[in-house]
Amino acid sequence: MALRQAQGDTAAQGDTAAQGDTAAQGDAAAFDFAGLAARLRPQCEALVAQYEQPRSALLPMMHLFQEHQGYVSQDAMRFAADLLGLSPAVVESTVSFYTLFFRKPVGKYMLQVCRGLMCELNGAEATMALFREKLGIGHLETTDDGLFSYEEVECLAACDKAPCMQVNLEFLYNLTPAMIDEMLELMRTGTYAIAPMVQTAKPERTWKVGQDAQVALGGKSPGTLNATDPNNAGGVGDASGVIMLDRFVSKDVAFTARSRERLVRDARAVAEIVEEEGANGHAGH
Amino acid sequence: MPVTKVLTAGIGEADLRDISVYRARGGYKQWERAVRDLKPADVMEACDKSGLRGRGGAGFPTGRKWSFLPNNGKPRYMVCNCDEAEPGTFKDHMLLEETPHLVLEGILLGAYGIGCTHAYIYIRGEFKRGYQIFQKAIDDARAAGLLGKNILGTGLDIEVTAHRGAGAYICGEETGLLNSLEGKRGEPRLKPPFPAIAGLYGMPTVVNNVETLAYLVPILEKGADWFASVGTERSKGYKIVSVSGHVQKPGNYEVPIGTTVREIIEIAGGLRPGRTFAAVQPGGQSSACIFEEHLDYPYDYESMAKAGSMLGSGAFTVFDDTTDWVKAALNSVRFYAHESCGQCTPCREGGHWLERVLHRFVEGRGLRSDLEMIRRVSGTITGLNLCALGDSIEPFLKSVVNRFPEQFEARVMQELTPA
Repeated sequence: MALRQAQGDTAAQGDTAAQGDTAAQGDAAAFDFAGLAARLRPQCEALVAQYEQPRSALLPMMHLFQEHQGYVSQDAMRFAADLLGLSPAVVESTVSFYTLFFRKPVGKYMLQVCRGLMCELNGAEATMALFREKLGIGHLETTDDGLFSYEEVECLAACDKAPCMQVNLEFLYNLTPAMIDEMLELMRTGTYAIAPMVQTAKPERTWKVGQDAQVALGGKSPGTLNATDPNNAGGVGDASGVIMLDRFVSKDVAFTARSRERLVRDARAVAEIVEEEGANGHAGH
Repeated sequence: MPVTKVLTAGIGEADLRDISVYRARGGYKQWERAVRDLKPADVMEACDKSGLRGRGGAGFPTGRKWSFLPNNGKPRYMVCNCDEAEPGTFKDHMLLEETPHLVLEGILLGAYGIGCTHAYIYIRGEFKRGYQIFQKAIDDARAAGLLGKNILGTGLDIEVTAHRGAGAYICGEETGLLNSLEGKRGEPRLKPPFPAIAGLYGMPTVVNNVETLAYLVPILEKGADWFASVGTERSKGYKIVSVSGHVQKPGNYEVPIGTTVREIIEIAGGLRPGRTFAAVQPGGQSSACIFEEHLDYPYDYESMAKAGSMLGSGAFTVFDDTTDWVKAALNSVRFYAHESCGQCTPCREGGHWLERVLHRFVEGRGLRSDLEMIRRVSGTITGLNLCALGDSIEPFLKSVVNRFPEQFEARVMQELTPA
């Protein structure tokens, strides 16, 4: 893991989930989490003081750590758990609820393109296809060089300036292909107006815990590049559903007949059991 | 055209983020007056008499909502809901970033009205910039002695804390919001008890939308009667309408409630040249579409309900004849499938299966039985969940499947391969 931290070029993409766990410890060693925690502790305590109950400070605290570490690490969650008197599992279960907390490292530029209906009415599909093509990655993925992470997100509440997106949570409005080209170019040369995010560990293919294991095994990540429809997030619409529904739903008659048969059979079985029980009951008396 | 600037006055003309600019335009005058001359009951009465209804979506009368708070001596909380995430709504985003002091003044008035000493504003995680702007507004107001301890030397204490979410639509639901504010997963709670009885930290709590609270400022300034004189019989005052979609000038337009649907489309520049009108979704993604026959309906809570839809959060999306309704339906359902918190089975499973079914249609592999199934299945999702998210999946879908069945039928798979 040390190699991965030091150079980042020798580590293979897509560590397994098991390796991911040790990576967190490795990151801490390379990154000096203890130092960060010591620095941020007073701010965390000030956050706690803002609320009537300490646990309310959990979300702002995690925002703070993500800002400084680039993602919400296991260490950060453990630190918060200690400070707030919660178990680490409770903290992680809370953090995992929110899509803006990245529990694994992400790229320096988090590109979040709005896929909401109002943006779609104004050409967001073409925008998303362009991003996928230019970056060579899909939804919820990070480029190999760790520069870009790409996500198609739900409505960003800027529908009058559609299509829109956020770069590291800063809004960009009325996107055009020329804007996107220029933006990506400036990001690559490190001269873009929006500051890159802190990156303290090399990102893997996806930052979504649970889906990373799938990717490591050679599977597709949720919004893979060769999905038929760039708007297709989560790999839905896969063949399995169609096959199953072809078999059952579209052959309504056969299906109903079968279930009726089964119902009758079940009813008879129940009746027999009841009879037997009844007989036994009488025998018992 | 009846565009009125009440909350939106000055936006785009002056830098209202600057507290001195805001005060020079009469800002914080109502707050000063309230603190010095008015009793909390006066604020509550003005709110009630104005007929102000919740601008976040449900349209519940704000005064009534406040009146549910029990007098049991427990601390009370005012929570401002700025988790604006209903697709198509972008008014709170504008208010927060463009006129944060108006929002803050509204929160202070609301907090004072219900007798709360610590108010919170829950800001959507994506509005990082808005959060920073609002935090600065709080700091500036504190420096001016307008909030915190001993406000304006009167001995009154009201603290305001800005809390940033982290990306979850469901946190806009008031009990989900309260859980998130308590540092928990943003899963809605079982009701009753309603927040008025047991809300934040188990205490009596009012959750009001940004726009609702901001309207308290002009209501106190010009009087409840002024507000109540505008609008229709049961829907009073003004409303910021977020117009988007297939119009020439999308944007936020503040109009008297009761302006017709047709007028609102015209205010937003009308349809693009050469296009014809298809539908309007008048209250955000959760609302059913209304069509040509409803164009002359007044845009108020009752008329929208009569048209089979709702006014909701005031997100007004216009669709023209180029709309691909199958894709639009998929987009809408996918949103709810993605945002379902997963607590209730009908919403969690229903959304995902509908998404799969609609995806088949988009690929031209729909099944004839699916159309009937879509109509049937909605009855097994709506009304069976803890919160309204599950109930929001079906209205739009059903309205477009019923109105534009030919678009769906055209995507039915022509020939089935034998299994």
